[in-house]
Amino acid sequence: MRGNPEGHELVGPGTLGGVLTLLANEPGRWTPIAGGTELMVAHAAGRLDARNLVSLWGIPDLRFIRVLGDSIAIGAGCTFRDLRMDASISADFPLLAQAAGWIGSIANQSRATLGGNLVNGSPAADSSPVLLAYDAEVEIISTRGTRRVPYAEFHIGYKCNVLAADELLYAVHLPRRFAKHKQYLRKVGTRRAMAIAKVALAGRALIEQGLVREIRLGAASVAAYPTRLYRAEDSICGRRITPESIRAARAAAMAEIVPIDDIRSTAEYRRVVMANLVQEFLSGLADAGNASNPVLAQWNTAESEAAKDAILPCCGARRWADAMIAARPIAGEQELHVAADRAWDAMEEADWMEAFACHPRIGERGTSNSTAQTAAWSNQEQASTAAAAEKVLAQLAEENARYENLFGFTYIVSATGKSAEEMLAILHRRLANDRASELREAADQQRTIMHIRLRKWLAQ
Amino acid sequence: MSTGWPAIELRVNGTHHSICVPPMKRLLDVLREDLGLTGTKEGCGEGECGSCSVRVDGELVNSCMVPVLQAQGASIETVEGLAVKGELHPLQKAFLECGGAQCGICTPGMLMAASHLLAQNPHPSLAEIREALGGNLCRCTGFIRIFDSVLAAAAANLNARQQQDTHAR
Amino acid sequence: MSTSAKTRIVGSAVPRKEGVDKLLGRACYVDDMEREGMWHGLTVRSSIARGLIRSIQFDAKMDWNEFAVVTAGDIPGKNHIHLIFADQPCLADGKVNHCEEPILLIAHPDKRKLRAAMAAIHIEYEPLPAVFSIEESERQDLIVWGEDNLIKSFLLEKGNVEQAWAGAAHVIEGEYRTGAQEHLYIENNGVIAEYSAQSGVTVWGSMQCPFYVHKSLMAVFDLPEERVRVIQTETGGAFGGKEDYPSMIASHAALLAMKCGRPVKMIYDRMEDLAATTKRHPSRVRHRTAVDATGKLLAMDIELATDGGAYSTLSSTVLSRATLHSPGPYVCPNVRVRSSAWATNTVPYGAFRGFGAPQAIFAIERHMDEIAAAIGMDPVELRRRNFLHDGDTTATEQVMREPMILDKLLDRALAESNYYDRKAQFARANPASTIKRGLGITAFYHGSGFTGSGERYLNSLAGVDVTSDGVVRVLVSSTEFGQGTNTILTQIAAEALGIDISDVVMAPADTATVPNSGPTVASRTGMVVGRLIQRAGTQLIAMLRDTAGLTETFTREEFFAACGRYRAAHGDVISMCRYEPPPDIFWDDQKYRGEAYPAYAWSVQVAQVAVDTLTYSAEVEDFWAVQEVGRVLNPVLAGGQIEGGVAQGIGYALYEKVLLQNGRMANNQMTNYIMPTAEDVPPIHVYFEEIPFQHGGFGAKGLGELPHDGPAPAILNAIKDATGVSFHCIPLMPEDMMAKLAVASPIEEPAIV
Repeated sequence: MRGNPEGHELVGPGTLGGVLTLLANEPGRWTPIAGGTELMVAHAAGRLDARNLVSLWGIPDLRFIRVLGDSIAIGAGCTFRDLRMDASISADFPLLAQAAGWIGSIANQSRATLGGNLVNGSPAADSSPVLLAYDAEVEIISTRGTRRVPYAEFHIGYKCNVLAADELLYAVHLPRRFAKHKQYLRKVGTRRAMAIAKVALAGRALIEQGLVREIRLGAASVAAYPTRLYRAEDSICGRRITPESIRAARAAAMAEIVPIDDIRSTAEYRRVVMANLVQEFLSGLADAGNASNPVLAQWNTAESEAAKDAILPCCGARRWADAMIAARPIAGEQELHVAADRAWDAMEEADWMEAFACHPRIGERGTSNSTAQTAAWSNQEQASTAAAAEKVLAQLAEENARYENLFGFTYIVSATGKSAEEMLAILHRRLANDRASELREAADQQRTIMHIRLRKWLAQ
Repeated sequence: MSTGWPAIELRVNGTHHSICVPPMKRLLDVLREDLGLTGTKEGCGEGECGSCSVRVDGELVNSCMVPVLQAQGASIETVEGLAVKGELHPLQKAFLECGGAQCGICTPGMLMAASHLLAQNPHPSLAEIREALGGNLCRCTGFIRIFDSVLAAAAANLNARQQQDTHAR
Repeated sequence: MSTSAKTRIVGSAVPRKEGVDKLLGRACYVDDMEREGMWHGLTVRSSIARGLIRSIQFDAKMDWNEFAVVTAGDIPGKNHIHLIFADQPCLADGKVNHCEEPILLIAHPDKRKLRAAMAAIHIEYEPLPAVFSIEESERQDLIVWGEDNLIKSFLLEKGNVEQAWAGAAHVIEGEYRTGAQEHLYIENNGVIAEYSAQSGVTVWGSMQCPFYVHKSLMAVFDLPEERVRVIQTETGGAFGGKEDYPSMIASHAALLAMKCGRPVKMIYDRMEDLAATTKRHPSRVRHRTAVDATGKLLAMDIELATDGGAYSTLSSTVLSRATLHSPGPYVCPNVRVRSSAWATNTVPYGAFRGFGAPQAIFAIERHMDEIAAAIGMDPVELRRRNFLHDGDTTATEQVMREPMILDKLLDRALAESNYYDRKAQFARANPASTIKRGLGITAFYHGSGFTGSGERYLNSLAGVDVTSDGVVRVLVSSTEFGQGTNTILTQIAAEALGIDISDVVMAPADTATVPNSGPTVASRTGMVVGRLIQRAGTQLIAMLRDTAGLTETFTREEFFAACGRYRAAHGDVISMCRYEPPPDIFWDDQKYRGEAYPAYAWSVQVAQVAVDTLTYSAEVEDFWAVQEVGRVLNPVLAGGQIEGGVAQGIGYALYEKVLLQNGRMANNQMTNYIMPTAEDVPPIHVYFEEIPFQHGGFGAKGLGELPHDGPAPAILNAIKDATGVSFHCIPLMPEDMMAKLAVASPIEEPAIV
């Protein structure tokens, strides 16, 4: 502890009015302190210059989340934990909930505030790219009244913003109009938890008739303050997503950012990886199945049990479903598949068995473990067997029995698009596997089926 | 020198304290120096290691980042409050059995983060445990046995509850 | 007593002896202690890497009468920290050789006044040119240490490498580098010291080796041993970082205590601890290897260099262990290792878990994969063909006399990790994914105990006694800092004495109470000290049988009754044993030949890594560690050691970078020195094979350092497997990977569905 607490004054008026009066009466004298996750670090390091501090902690007028028809207002005093826990934010602004979950650790999220994050103005601030992508406006208050500024114009230099000495950041307003927009968020940090972004990108785009109608790219750690990638946005807005337009957007992003070398990374790394993220987002926009958001958004906020029931038909291992529930909120289709893979990677033999048991034998219909949804999907997947010759079906039945005798579980193969004959041939081949290899192969097939079903689920 | 400083009222592990200290004094230092509760440790002083984790009004915080004025009137739980009448908390028992503590310096913070998790989510998945402990650095264990300990404590809680239910019937 | 005999307590998961205190938050670390009238101390350090101190000004606006100030001139004895050579001053005297070198000390009753006082001390320097790398030091253009910058060198030779090159089917060369690593124990260095003219110096503190500190204080204060007392307090992690450094901070606090006549507490904060205390030695290893057409090793020529920093500290012994581990667990008829430790103007490098072995093993185990690639052989098969077996000789011509099961360890690792199936699966999935997965394998040994004749020089003494109130105490200076010393030694004592674990306690690690059982380092506690406690127990039982009527079989009550009879007749019930080297041990310090270590622990590790080609970052997704460590004394503690060592090894490979700028650590905060968190550590699967070692405590060999040796090369081998790209340096950061990966697998043309 290098700072001396006796060298600093800290007052807590307890009300917004009290704080504003203090700021108005002695402009420039008082430094607001909210959750302290920045200023207290400086204090401990003996680098806290501010001698007079006024506490914003515990002021109810700064800590609110209000849904106002076509927008939402978030008080600057909301902690990131508040943001994570709020159902309307998870539903309408999933990227914000996700970014909130990336900040430091649970203990930091319960202290760090949205307002503090923005006013501190770190180029690497976790919430900033998302607010840029969502066209946030900030509301600024003083005894003189309030004013609104687009968040994209809030920062004006390294750790500089438009706040006057008597002003306080009061709230952040987000328009609720992005349900049909594709959204993307990725933070490249030094590690998974307690990480500061080396590069982060939030993206949002509306695609209509194959054209990019509207796009926002909010970036961190590539300039003196969080910034939109205006040129990259311009380069692709109104165009189709094609290899050429993606290349052009990459080039525009690389040209407009001004990253630096510091103790966490290098300018070159930041430049290249930012371009890669832009490309990843844009490539994802081209994916079919634009309609994933409503199902996901609803699922993200559903009760755990209901959400579990909804996703279990995609893969019948309960521990897998638990992991998926734990991974919520999931921002988009791509993230869903990534999360599903991660969860499946963590499964063990018992879970595989549980998932396998939810599939009917190839050539049969229904199992005791299957739900209506599972059965319907199995029927679609195995549609070819309906048309298969009796002889092939009989062989399948016979070989299925051999397989189960040998390995102790049902033959799993991704049946979509395969004829009964093909599935029989694969079954023959796999009978030659040892049990360990076969288990892996079956688990791999289960993974393929899982992805197919996740796509179907989102398409519902 | 306590003149001029406001009185801060705190409830720590159920006991009320009234102290006069500089309002920018860190909650961590108040606990350790003014209240003699040295179970809460300082590892980094920058909110990075979690050794100073305590619960303030049910929220997990790093006490090195809280100026004590901001804890005015708060109810605080520290590691010293986990065991009740000498009976180890289920998490403490599990850490002992599973090898969740080695050098012990991160242990108080780890226990507070884990107890915060279990208070909100009595049966967490491994992924939820990893996230909940993501802000608590341990250099000895590689975390594996800490995860085992939290899972074991959650299971023990479940058993205890089931037994209670059986008795109730 | 047979080491493989059935045991009651040894081998079982006895809970950690001091565990309850730690869990209740009542374990007393040094910063939790107060002494009556205590002051607080702070160190004023050099802001430059090398230069002369021209003047020290004390700003007149401070009232310096309130402070105690100590400079080199106040040292009553020798101004050096006693270790191997006497080159490191306790306080700089006119000249500094690295940033953060201690220059003067201040103390005040109020610790919050110290920083302002420090800011009011102005030191004027005449800077001198400095060297910051092995290359600059070995060029010897600028001499910054001794006559030639060379702290130590070794030459190890077996056969004749020069004859082997011509006949070889392949000759493969490679250069490998490792960076510094910070211990990052969560409890920083700290001590409390008291001084009085009558009783001398007493120090309480966080440390591994109370007798090292004891010896240093004797020299600094010019006091006889009975007037220096050192007491270890509960220690919150060490990993080698509290082997030599506590001698420095203890001397400082004691000097301040002498000056102000009060107890003085010195606790480093994280920034100071990171910037000013020791780290793992950076290294550069060059391999030149000849193999025949079947992959058999014909010759290994190894050139190994370490950066020792500004003073010699433990660099010579670290270099020794690096030298002895550099050829890996392989048979080779011709080996030459030329090694050297070079001085630079950085904070001295010191002991860190593995002690040179992780550096050497990183090089050889990465190099084995490079050899395999060069000759088109499976790296697993290449290793298997060259493994040491019973009766083979190592590079020092030590004959492997204990049963060797490297093949078994390898088979187990392959089976548990499902190695080949996974590899095949990744080979199928990688081409279509931006995430490339791969597996890497490493095989290695770690020598247990001090090198060569080291244990003979240490001449450790340890024992047990029985107090009049019926408690058995283990008398050792071996310390607990998380690894489990308290638990395993009380297990061994209880086992050997036939009593309950609850009957046995550790005597306080206080130099006034316990004998010198040697330092708690080098994976020696379970094997060497454990054996002494086992022998002392057996000896005590024999004594009680001979002279106090203890029967052949007995209950614990009968045991304590016999102790009572013995005490009545003969006085104190105590049994001490001194180290006896295993028979037929031979070591030549000059030629570096013979029994380098009394025993070796063996391991095979497998890492599964995922490389993200969008961000050029690697993550370890799964890890398997199979090892033979002799008898496992406590499975929970042993498993915890392996997991912790693997996690630290993962940090060493992919996360932990000590960023030096002009010899100063630029990232000396936990937010910028990145260790793996709970969310970064993969599942770690641990498997033990047990072959009791007849000269270890109930069959134990060393264990604590072993797991840190393997992860770094396993991970980089896995990255090679995943991407086809070889990397030769750690820490391997995404920024380093980008250049090569962007060429090897360029971001594909934007894919449009």
